[in-house]
Amino acid sequence: MKAKNQTTPNGLIGKMINALDDERLSQFAIPIVSIILTIIAASVLLLVLGKNPITAMNGFLRGSGFMMKPLYAGGQSMLTDFLSFLGILAPMLLAALGIIIGMKSGMFNIGMAGQMLAAGFIATVFVGYSGLNAYIAKPLVILVGITAGGLIGATIGFLKYRFNIHEVVSSIMFNYITSYIVAFFINTYYKDIITRSSRICSPASRLSITGIAWGSSKLTLPLGIILAIASVFLVKFLLDRTVIGFEMKAVGLNRDCAKYAGVNVGKSIVLAMALSGVFGGLAGVTYYVGYFNSIVPKELASLGYDSIAVALLGNISPIGAIFSSILITIFQKGSIYMSSTVGVPKEIASVITGILLLFSACGTYMRYLARRQRERLAEKAKKEGVQ
Amino acid sequence: MSEYIVEMRHITKRFPGIVANDDISIGIRKGEIFAFLGENGAGKSTLMSMLFGMYEPDEGEILVRGEKVKLSSSNEAAALNIGMVHQHFKLVDNYTIAQNIILGIEPIKKIGGLIPYVDCKGAQEKIRELSKAYGLEVDPCQVVESVNVSIQQRVEILKMLYREAEILIFDEPTAVLTPQEIQYLLDIMVELRNKGKTIILITHKLEEIKRIADRCAILRRGKLVRVLNVAETSTQEMANLMVGREVVFEREKQPANFREVLLEVEDLTVRNEDKFDVVKNVSFSIRRGEIFAIAGVSGNGQIEIADAIAGLVKPQKGKIKLKGKDITAATIRRRTEEGMSYIPEDRQRLGVVLDFSLEDNLAIKKYYREPFSQKGILKREGFQKFAEELIEQYDIRSGQGAKTIIRSMSGGNQQKAIVAREISLESDLMIFVQPTRGLDIGAIENIQKQILRERDKGKAVLLISLELDEVMSLADTIGVIYNGQLQKISPAEELTTNEVGEYMMGVKS
Repeated sequence: MKAKNQTTPNGLIGKMINALDDERLSQFAIPIVSIILTIIAASVLLLVLGKNPITAMNGFLRGSGFMMKPLYAGGQSMLTDFLSFLGILAPMLLAALGIIIGMKSGMFNIGMAGQMLAAGFIATVFVGYSGLNAYIAKPLVILVGITAGGLIGATIGFLKYRFNIHEVVSSIMFNYITSYIVAFFINTYYKDIITRSSRICSPASRLSITGIAWGSSKLTLPLGIILAIASVFLVKFLLDRTVIGFEMKAVGLNRDCAKYAGVNVGKSIVLAMALSGVFGGLAGVTYYVGYFNSIVPKELASLGYDSIAVALLGNISPIGAIFSSILITIFQKGSIYMSSTVGVPKEIASVITGILLLFSACGTYMRYLARRQRERLAEKAKKEGVQ
Repeated sequence: MSEYIVEMRHITKRFPGIVANDDISIGIRKGEIFAFLGENGAGKSTLMSMLFGMYEPDEGEILVRGEKVKLSSSNEAAALNIGMVHQHFKLVDNYTIAQNIILGIEPIKKIGGLIPYVDCKGAQEKIRELSKAYGLEVDPCQVVESVNVSIQQRVEILKMLYREAEILIFDEPTAVLTPQEIQYLLDIMVELRNKGKTIILITHKLEEIKRIADRCAILRRGKLVRVLNVAETSTQEMANLMVGREVVFEREKQPANFREVLLEVEDLTVRNEDKFDVVKNVSFSIRRGEIFAIAGVSGNGQIEIADAIAGLVKPQKGKIKLKGKDITAATIRRRTEEGMSYIPEDRQRLGVVLDFSLEDNLAIKKYYREPFSQKGILKREGFQKFAEELIEQYDIRSGQGAKTIIRSMSGGNQQKAIVAREISLESDLMIFVQPTRGLDIGAIENIQKQILRERDKGKAVLLISLELDEVMSLADTIGVIYNGQLQKISPAEELTTNEVGEYMMGVKS
């Protein structure tokens, strides 16, 4: 309605300006513009390093299985790369969902990486090293992930509610606690002498199906991605259509009013953090028991922190997280192939993710600029009309 | 030069779904107190926000001192010596008064001509001079969060004066003040005018306009109704123009019909966060069909009484019984279900979730029940249907109906939504705290009628109000609170306004 009242600027730039200022379109337009700006900035960076940005961008896509590589090793193909991409996309998306639930309830679960590690470790030890068959082991791994993540999340929530300990502080502490305890057990009991990581978990327990022959290549089907996509809709349903979600959002937006309205704020906080942890746990088991299949001691998955970026870039919406997780995972997953073909350090991928975040954080500013520009154009058009 | 210092010509401003200002032309003379009168959402604040550079008009032009200006930010307005005191103060709570005043235009001195620093001493001196010149007493060294709203308002005024504002806009300045503070503020405004400043006063309190304004523009639903000379117009006439129909000042009140006791408060003591007893051994009871009003000057413990009954704060001591059941330790939800409605004082903090839609806010005490949800799953149709009924019944105005985000609605309509929600709970006990604060005559009349209607339906009403008129005209029983203690409980007809006032000030006991 508003857009119709004002003069519409024409042309591509004009359309972009309009999209950025529009109530509904802006939530898509801002990420798209951020991505375009990121690609431009990254290209400049690569040019400065003396590399061809197009090759680099192709490198990211090829490494993630979106484009054919010129050469494949035996048993490998574009499909293996793509399935492997989906394998690491799943924990990214699940972890982002955990972040989203937390944020909607007004809490910042920065302890994703710790919750992932705890769930992954417990599942590895109790199921991954057991001789259970696949039909029992796989559901059990999921169950362990849910329980372990959920319990840590609930504890953080309880500390917040009962003792008013800020969730950022307690979850960072939990990250350290988990990391050191897990490292202790791996180093004492479960170490693989050659890799210095934990021993590999059994194929039956993994949330993936390995060794499927397809033509000349051997495929690993990631089961986690099914779990992740299903979780997206589950979380969306939870937030939009359930009583629990309504309460969590009310608490997140105005705790005082939620209390006044009779919402049990403490229960809601604990529940939200528990659910956030549940998705952290699921991310952990798909990551450690399904993708990497072993745990490096004293190392927290950087994915746990990247998922915060995914959640923010996706506008803290479950559906948005699908797109943002694909995008960020392309940069992360494709970075190894990109760096080997272009000859730049693979950390450049993290730099690009950083730039992307920087631009998407400027969303409100972009909107403001678009509005200013539109008003200026409208005024100019008016003046010209008068003359 | 024209005779006007500010002239607005054919101003139109639209927001999604609403024309906030429709072709308004107005001229304000130098050195007068010019008032804007209108109901909530009539467009007064929007019009003045345009003069202050917070919005730009869609159509029309603004002239300041005879010159056409384009104001696209408040800095540009400040450069034209226009200042504004907003309804919600814009102060940094943990800065001192002096720091707040100089914020943005800090006087810079240089140590040895090299290292720059903010000259706080000089600023404090200048602020002291200003406050002496205009009778605005403040201590520039105090931190803003430690002083009361009345002083915070003085800080806002000083902020404008420090910036050498000549045109001062006050947006509903008296909404948060006690009667004494209002008198003080009005005196200051007159003083400012006498010193040559131009004052623009946005209000819906007729009596204030009558007392100090020279001229008054009446707005109704975005349109300018008339500009009139205050001295030549009666209050009644202004009220009629503002509301667009005859306003009955006297409320028809049916004789009371008291029934059994519904709420009993025994020996209630409430301690605040600083371990100070703000409510001390308060006991009273309310019968069905009775309006029990607590009168008192702001900050004497009346809000805490309401919060304790509603379960928002835990009493230190004492008992609260509803329908004979002890609910002292009950959860808030159980109290609601037992039959308690609560219209809180701070509607934006407590009463609504600002970023929720109107329909979500209307259902926020019932969402977990049918027809709003079933087995934990929300039923959106239920929300919408309920919201539409209330919008219709209580005339809640908003841009996009039930789906409007409540933040974008005017304060008065937010309050209407809260009142509608609480009455629709059909509780036996209704707690109203400052139910008409910041509302216009039409809305006040409406809400007061509803309060009386609830009482006549046999509900027990606890009314907490700072407006003595409201207490006197509605209450069946009056309890006067001073310093956390109920000084006097008496049937309303046995007390005069003056007596209540004396009890309120602690003069009589």
